[in-house]
Amino acid sequence: MVHPTIEIMMSIPKLEFPPFHLPAEAEALREEVRAFLKETLPKIKTEDRFASWNTASPEFSRALGAKGWLGITWPKQYGGAERTFLDRLVVTEELLGNSAPAGSHWVADRQSGPLLLKFGTEQQRQAILPRIVKGECYFSIGMSEPDSGSDLASVRTRAEPVPGGFRVNGTKVWTSGAHRNHYCITLVRTSGQHGDRHKGLSQLLVDLKTPGITIRPIINLAGRHDWNEVTFSDAFIPEDCLIGNEGDGWLQVTSELAFERSGPERFMQNVYVLRELVRVLGRQPAKRASAILGRLIARLWTLRQMSTAVAGMMQGGKSPAIEASLVKDLGTIYQQDLPEIARTLAESDATTEDDLADFLDVAQYATMMAPSYTIQGGTTQVLRGIVARGLGLR
Amino acid sequence: MDRDTRDMLLETATRFFAERSAKDVVNGVEKGVWPADLWKEIEEMGLPLIAVPEELEGVGGTLADLMALLRVAGEHAVPVPVAETALANLLVAAAGGKPATGPSTLALGDLSLQGGRVSGKVARVPFAGVAERFVSIVTTGGKSTLVVVPRDAATIEDAPSHAGEPYGSVSFDGATPEFSAASTVSADRALELAALARSMQMAGAADKVLVTATEYCKQRVQFGRPISTFQAVQHMLAELASYVAATIAAAEAAARDADEGGLADGGSFSIAAAKTQCSDFAHRIAAISHQSMGAMGFTHEHILHHYTRRLWVWRRDFGSESFWGEKIGQSFARAGKDDLWPALSESRYAA
Repeated sequence: MVHPTIEIMMSIPKLEFPPFHLPAEAEALREEVRAFLKETLPKIKTEDRFASWNTASPEFSRALGAKGWLGITWPKQYGGAERTFLDRLVVTEELLGNSAPAGSHWVADRQSGPLLLKFGTEQQRQAILPRIVKGECYFSIGMSEPDSGSDLASVRTRAEPVPGGFRVNGTKVWTSGAHRNHYCITLVRTSGQHGDRHKGLSQLLVDLKTPGITIRPIINLAGRHDWNEVTFSDAFIPEDCLIGNEGDGWLQVTSELAFERSGPERFMQNVYVLRELVRVLGRQPAKRASAILGRLIARLWTLRQMSTAVAGMMQGGKSPAIEASLVKDLGTIYQQDLPEIARTLAESDATTEDDLADFLDVAQYATMMAPSYTIQGGTTQVLRGIVARGLGLR
Repeated sequence: MDRDTRDMLLETATRFFAERSAKDVVNGVEKGVWPADLWKEIEEMGLPLIAVPEELEGVGGTLADLMALLRVAGEHAVPVPVAETALANLLVAAAGGKPATGPSTLALGDLSLQGGRVSGKVARVPFAGVAERFVSIVTTGGKSTLVVVPRDAATIEDAPSHAGEPYGSVSFDGATPEFSAASTVSADRALELAALARSMQMAGAADKVLVTATEYCKQRVQFGRPISTFQAVQHMLAELASYVAATIAAAEAAARDADEGGLADGGSFSIAAAKTQCSDFAHRIAAISHQSMGAMGFTHEHILHHYTRRLWVWRRDFGSESFWGEKIGQSFARAGKDDLWPALSESRYAA
């Protein structure tokens, strides 16, 4: 019979989500962003209504840049506003909450810019960051390969040092937006052998118009062209495009992934489903329908409390890796459950047949997108491995 | 109380409950043995008087302090009405009365008040079997009146909870209260405060379930190695951690919002959302923890059921996820889709 003693139990880290209020400046910014979106969104043409986070709209991104809301935390010398990471959180929440087309800029704003700021050369920062801030320069992520998904350290794309730079050969896949973006931060092997794992990897700032680069669409199951296959055939990348030091690629990639985990994009990408559900259930749904709707809303509220608590801890200088992974795990599964629960509820309780037909279209699209949430940015299984390590299980 | 004082209180309470609310005490309550010593010590420590102002013979502190304590109580399956008595004292004090000694409980339900006498029946009253008095808030003509009815003026039908605690139905037939006064806290609000208390107890219990299952899997050897080294088990426990995390985060956020808003009306939506969430995930928390512990965790001998059975009971106490979810759903449906995100981001009911 096992009876854990108190001493043993103390060895397991306690999960804590200290409630955190966004500061008044951030909430004031929220009002500004809301007012801007209310005015701007109706004027923006998007290729479709519900793919907002993945819908590219340079026009919208430039408008957001003109307001000073891109690269909002960055130093003024690069065009940033030197505001807090919590201000950025509020902008992101409002873009998601109002289903704004953020597809052009969000990778650059969330991770490529911060990566250059942290590891890039002065020349790279000056050349790139002010353009991101204006909403004019967009990025792709060149990490995954045909044989390297969750096991990123196994990348094969090779950058041979040659006079003045690197000769790059290899293939990147699932490269979102490569067909319309300007740059791709690309993880490559610059030294050592394929089996060296984390050693000998570097990241390059690759101009996607470089000769020797071929971009082919990979159409996803919803029929959308977001992804690409990016092939490098003896592409020459100048040496001043190396990010940080040769061999620091793994360090950079892991720090980059940390930007990705606990943000609102992990649970709010399909909030439009909930909004449409509210619409089709009408003003006075039956008891059971109300209760199911209420439970969906309570889950979303909880995720937001968790995400805000993680943001508060990060603002306080902590790095809550386990908590952040838990937010992504729960949040992405919520985004998968939502269209399913909403569909069955609408089928039984939508007020009119027309409303139901409209809603089923929306739910169908959300259902098709749902599998991607628990794959991109660290699969559920990778996240659970991180959490298990945190619990001292491995 | 300030941060340090609260931390000290919680540390003291943790040590005290770990020692005094031990397995045999919890099992004893299930067999009908009232742990008089445990209760006496709890009163001596002043725990049921936290958040009651000192000038009203309380020990001071805030609603948030009390809720933090109740999370610790939940973490130890404390089988006496700390939450119920503390809330009863708080409501009595808010109506200008003085807290009494001895266990009290809340009889929140549809009661009527005529000529100063209380009538009606409330089912599933926690600790009805041991409470010395019942505290309720009765609404008449839009006005809220707090009533305290002594045990001997009530008829009690024992109906122990599925966790073996002395719950029961309580009937009043023209009962004369020992104290009654106008209440600034409405009947609906009293239910919210009770739901918040349960959410915090659930957070504590959920936390304990995670620790218990995790520790068990690290020690249990099968196929020649601790089962915690199997990836299937690691992923189960990581999933369990996600539900536990949600339970803790929701309850803590609601406690903060209720405290900041004030006793009479703060954080109404947050409480509803938190109780919905805590109740909703109780099933998964119990299911995964039991699965990870196999037959051992299904025995009465092990302590896991002290927590999982309480989660199953507490999810229904003071409003289940159906009850609170319905309130939330109705409000958001009535307001329409445009207030969904604004209301959610401000932690309020939609309007």
